[in-house]
Amino acid sequence: MSDTVLQVRGLRKVFADVCAVDGLDFSIIKGQCFGLLGPNGAGKTTTLDMLEGIENPTAGVILYRNRPIPRDYQSRIGIQFQSTALQDHLTPYDNLKLFSGLYENPKPIDELVDTFELNEFLHRDVKHLSGGQRQKLLLALALVHDPEIVFLDEPTTGLDPRSRRDMWDVVLRLKSQGNTLILTTHYMEEAEVLCDYLVILSRGKVLLMGSPQQLIDNSNEDTLDALFLNLTGENLVETTEVIR
Amino acid sequence: MTSWLRSFRRMIVMFHARNLEYIRDRGSFGWNLIFPVAIVFALAIVFSGPPTAVFSISVVSSEFKQPNLLDFPGIEVLVVDKDKALERLSHHQTDFVIDTLETEIRYWLNGNSASGAILERLLEYTESRPLVRGETRGTAIRYIDWVVPGILAMNMMYSALWGVGYVIVRYRQSGYLRRLKATPLTKFEFLVSQVASRLLVTLTATAIVFFGTNLFLDFKMVGSLGLLFLTAIIGSLSVITLGLAIACRTESKEFADGLLNAVTFPMLLLSEIWFSLDGSPVWLRYFAEILPLTHILEAARAIMLDDASVLDIADELLALVGFCILGMGISIKLFRW
Repeated sequence: MSDTVLQVRGLRKVFADVCAVDGLDFSIIKGQCFGLLGPNGAGKTTTLDMLEGIENPTAGVILYRNRPIPRDYQSRIGIQFQSTALQDHLTPYDNLKLFSGLYENPKPIDELVDTFELNEFLHRDVKHLSGGQRQKLLLALALVHDPEIVFLDEPTTGLDPRSRRDMWDVVLRLKSQGNTLILTTHYMEEAEVLCDYLVILSRGKVLLMGSPQQLIDNSNEDTLDALFLNLTGENLVETTEVIR
Repeated sequence: MTSWLRSFRRMIVMFHARNLEYIRDRGSFGWNLIFPVAIVFALAIVFSGPPTAVFSISVVSSEFKQPNLLDFPGIEVLVVDKDKALERLSHHQTDFVIDTLETEIRYWLNGNSASGAILERLLEYTESRPLVRGETRGTAIRYIDWVVPGILAMNMMYSALWGVGYVIVRYRQSGYLRRLKATPLTKFEFLVSQVASRLLVTLTATAIVFFGTNLFLDFKMVGSLGLLFLTAIIGSLSVITLGLAIACRTESKEFADGLLNAVTFPMLLLSEIWFSLDGSPVWLRYFAEILPLTHILEAARAIMLDDASVLDIADELLALVGFCILGMGISIKLFRW
């Protein structure tokens, strides 16, 4: 248990009369790439928001290293949101400088520029960046303070195949450096390549949990893609099975 | 590094980023400078001719039968309180002040005004009741002298309300505030940095317009520049914090736009930017007192036109400080990322 970075017990979130997340239980291990999968409206982003400390749960607990979330939690995590607007008229360099200034021990800006290959568009207005360039910048901003846990909310949505591959390389590099990654994605291929452990959600509940290989081995499907399509079909929505 | 220093550093980087965003937005930056200058010059041209009214008389009581003089054609009559009437007389904004009592008629004129002397003669010829004479001194002020503080304050109001209120709602709607929430930046640090940045922008723009237009129009400024600057700081803060309070929870830009218009419209009409409320219903003048712009203007005009001291405008400054505390308190309490 000492390697458990985050523990979730009975997590629930209700907005007005809609239950977005309904009793989740799982643990995230240090250095793991943990994937949250599910169709639109499954509760992935709400779950992520609660893990990030942006939304308060309606019920349940989230433990960080077996203790309640500490006050400096925001300094230990880095977040790349699904869609983040940045201040108008600022360049990637201005944004790196701004976000570096918000943390106590930021990485040198030059290092981030090299790591994420931002040089080509470093002084361009962020409004004029391509989707891939923007995602690279957002990831660099999420990692500006060298966080222990990195949250990536659909980091490759809307990117062309080349940009998506580039992002995968970055994520795999982070994994190899020992960062704990928590990501949501729509792409099963991406989940298979990047994630060590997957939780498939539907309507706020866990349908399946396990490593990508375990999930395939324990099903009648050949691919994660087929398994996902099968699971999230109307007839299987209420099915809850945990593969350990 | 202590937590205070870390907090200060975060405020500085947010302050700097907001300044960069504003300066690089050339449209807004230019408009904030060009618009008020254009209005000042337009009004200077429009109101440069002679006044159309023949005589203006201020009446300070209406209990007893008024002098026949008031029924003469070409005479504009305003009912105002005595202090205000005498202040207007000293500025040549009215020609004559009449206070009709049960047994006598008191009147005041400006010793430097020919119109006042003519009206005095007319009163003597038309009135049988005893007359008691009073006199004030003071040079005439042009409409442009009177309206310049109003235009500066109006520009300050727009810059503060939209530059903070609208921008924060835009940040919220675009998800930028959510991104900032995921950093160690606190609500207080964010709000202070926004206030400081807008204060700098507003004061700089106001100073450029003030000195720039004064080069050409030489409007009246007899008071302390330091006191006017202090009034500008507190006045700007009062409208900036009002903008923050409006934006602290609003999620839609359209709704924010409506709220900001609902706040600015009464100030435009009732804070005496363009015209005096003398002669308007008392309740309307009381209502104007709850608007920060009214106090900014009263203080600024008192300094610029009457050489008022800090004690003379203490009530206005205290009211503005009250607006600042209220606005900031509401913002900190209710702000949502």
